[in-house]
Amino acid sequence: MDAAHAHTHDHGHDDHGHKPSGIMRWVKSTNHKDIGTMYLWFSFTMFMVGGVMAMIIRAELFQPGLQIVRPDFFNSMTTYHGLIMVFGAIMPAFVGFANWLIPMQIGAPDMAFPRMNNLSFWLLPPAAMLLIAAQFMPGGGAGVGWTMYAPLSTQAGPAMDLTIFAVHILGISSIMGSINIITTILNMRAPGMSLMKMPLFCWTWLITAYLLVAVMPVLAGAVTMTLTDRHFGTHFFNAAGGGDPVLYQHIFWFFGHPEVYIIAIPAFGVVSQVIPAFSRKPLFGYASMVYATASIAILSFMVWAHHMYTAGMPVEAQLYFMYATALIAVPTGVKVFNWVATMWKGSLTFETPMLFSLGFLFLFTLGGFTGLVLSITPVDVQLHDTYYVVAHFHYVMVAGALFSAFAGIYFWLPKWTGRMYNETLGKWHFWLSLIFFNVTFFVQHFLGLAGMPRRIPDYALQFAEFNAISSIGAFGFGLSQLLFLYIVIKCITSGDKAPDKPWEGADSLEWTHLPTPAPWHSFETPPVIK
Amino acid sequence: MTTDPHCDADLAEVGAEFTYFRRHCSSLDWRLLHLVFGSLALFLVLVAVGFAVAGAWLIIPFAGIEIAGLGIAAWWTLRRSGDFERLAFDGDRIVVEIREQGLLRQFEFNRCWARLVTGDAGTVALRSHGREIAIGRFCGEESRQALARELRNRLDGHRLYRINQVTSAGEA
Repeated sequence: MDAAHAHTHDHGHDDHGHKPSGIMRWVKSTNHKDIGTMYLWFSFTMFMVGGVMAMIIRAELFQPGLQIVRPDFFNSMTTYHGLIMVFGAIMPAFVGFANWLIPMQIGAPDMAFPRMNNLSFWLLPPAAMLLIAAQFMPGGGAGVGWTMYAPLSTQAGPAMDLTIFAVHILGISSIMGSINIITTILNMRAPGMSLMKMPLFCWTWLITAYLLVAVMPVLAGAVTMTLTDRHFGTHFFNAAGGGDPVLYQHIFWFFGHPEVYIIAIPAFGVVSQVIPAFSRKPLFGYASMVYATASIAILSFMVWAHHMYTAGMPVEAQLYFMYATALIAVPTGVKVFNWVATMWKGSLTFETPMLFSLGFLFLFTLGGFTGLVLSITPVDVQLHDTYYVVAHFHYVMVAGALFSAFAGIYFWLPKWTGRMYNETLGKWHFWLSLIFFNVTFFVQHFLGLAGMPRRIPDYALQFAEFNAISSIGAFGFGLSQLLFLYIVIKCITSGDKAPDKPWEGADSLEWTHLPTPAPWHSFETPPVIK
Repeated sequence: MTTDPHCDADLAEVGAEFTYFRRHCSSLDWRLLHLVFGSLALFLVLVAVGFAVAGAWLIIPFAGIEIAGLGIAAWWTLRRSGDFERLAFDGDRIVVEIREQGLLRQFEFNRCWARLVTGDAGTVALRSHGREIAIGRFCGEESRQALARELRNRLDGHRLYRINQVTSAGEA
């Protein structure tokens, strides 16, 4: 027999009756909802920082010639705009969604490792500070592009070291978040919630977490080898020392292409929740959606070299990567077909989340098509590093991931805050974003086709008109996002009280089994899923 | 009494006069966990070795650290998935068995002396001779209070029964 000890207060974070307050509520929080909220606000802050960088880029490009910033500062802006938007804004936004929604959608009380969840969030602010501090290092920020290609990155100033450290910290945070999501989904589903009954958002995050865990060590290794080449006399990427700069490109894109889907797949999940809710129909082809998502994830590991056709590779390899890339259109097409089929003969209404989802559907598909164009090797050789590529990935990242995030925020804002946003202002936000987005980026296709290279602060006179149009669009798009901030703050502070289920077609557990706003602790007793 | 409908355990009269058994709620399918962990580990090894052959060997330590981290999380999850709590009333004895994070502990109380105590935060514990052990750790709030009522009734009933026994023995 063992001696008995006092165990009456051994459930620290499960202390059901007590809701902490003040700043320590956020610093020490192990509550998935609080951590989700912090992720979302952090993401929006970084979105603003990255957005200011985009405005600087577009202000400089408004006219040909050098008017506002020095070329090295311009290069630094393109670098950190990319890094901050990818790692600081979009990824944390979807991790915020995952934190808020996965436990509620699978009927769990919290994430599997709540303390690790806290740590994975609190690693983000130091990483963001490093990225911002890099601007103030001697020589300014590292103008190496978000891809940090060697040998440029091995020769850049001290800002590069801060950037490498920041990428490491962001990677650790992502890995911890992913491990948490995988274990939560595998272990904490409510009785009866089989994998194939989970909402598609949870499926997309399970697959995304798998992708993240699979590719993060590759990125960590790449930037560490850059660091050792810079300071410790190694020659991984230095041809003069027997290394291979193209090897860096292979390593980076082996991480980088799955990274595109790490951003896009949770966006698919959000849209797969919103479209059925506003179509008042179940998602068409649920199982095929799961398999298509998994197929996209698997294929994403096999196509990395389509980013580097011009680096030189055997024609057989070019053919392989071309066909493999084109193959991704098949599962992506399945998804687009299923979203359209879900709407077919549905009782559609067009509230703001649905509008953003439709915007996603049209524009992401357009971005997918330009991706197919770029997958064709001889075409890509012409368009590589032109504004066509910039237009393509902004259609995927902004109109795809960001519009989906907006759809998700408007959709779940009543559940999170207990209040309704202003629908009229939400629609204004959508239409302004849609119009200004296309004004900004659609014309960049023409610039790219005409041969304007990316990552340059100056350009030939022939590109002046389209660049001016693009910059006007960018300023409009940036200002439109201030309206979004106003809508969210107004909702939180003085929005009308939301009913428990403001969207009649929403059918996942957070809508059907929980009050609005979601309580501090949810599903202390798991629901039974029939 | 009401019980949570989710766990495969509730109050049951099995062998002993009264038995309560509840497992840690877990949807874990250990084969699926092995599949996820195994496939990720295999993939990472192949990628790390592949790049090492191409000259980029510094991916290996990061892949190793991550496989270790993932393995620890999987092991931790598996370890907790078998946790349970069993409480049995057998004559004058109350036997409490708790398996928490893989560690099995057993406690015994004298039924005449044991008292049920409830805390402000809804916690329930058995206390006797300076020892206290929390029970109902795998229940929801409502079920834990129902369990507390049930246990209090049984403890009070047994105490009354013993007093009556002693009184009638004295009278005889």
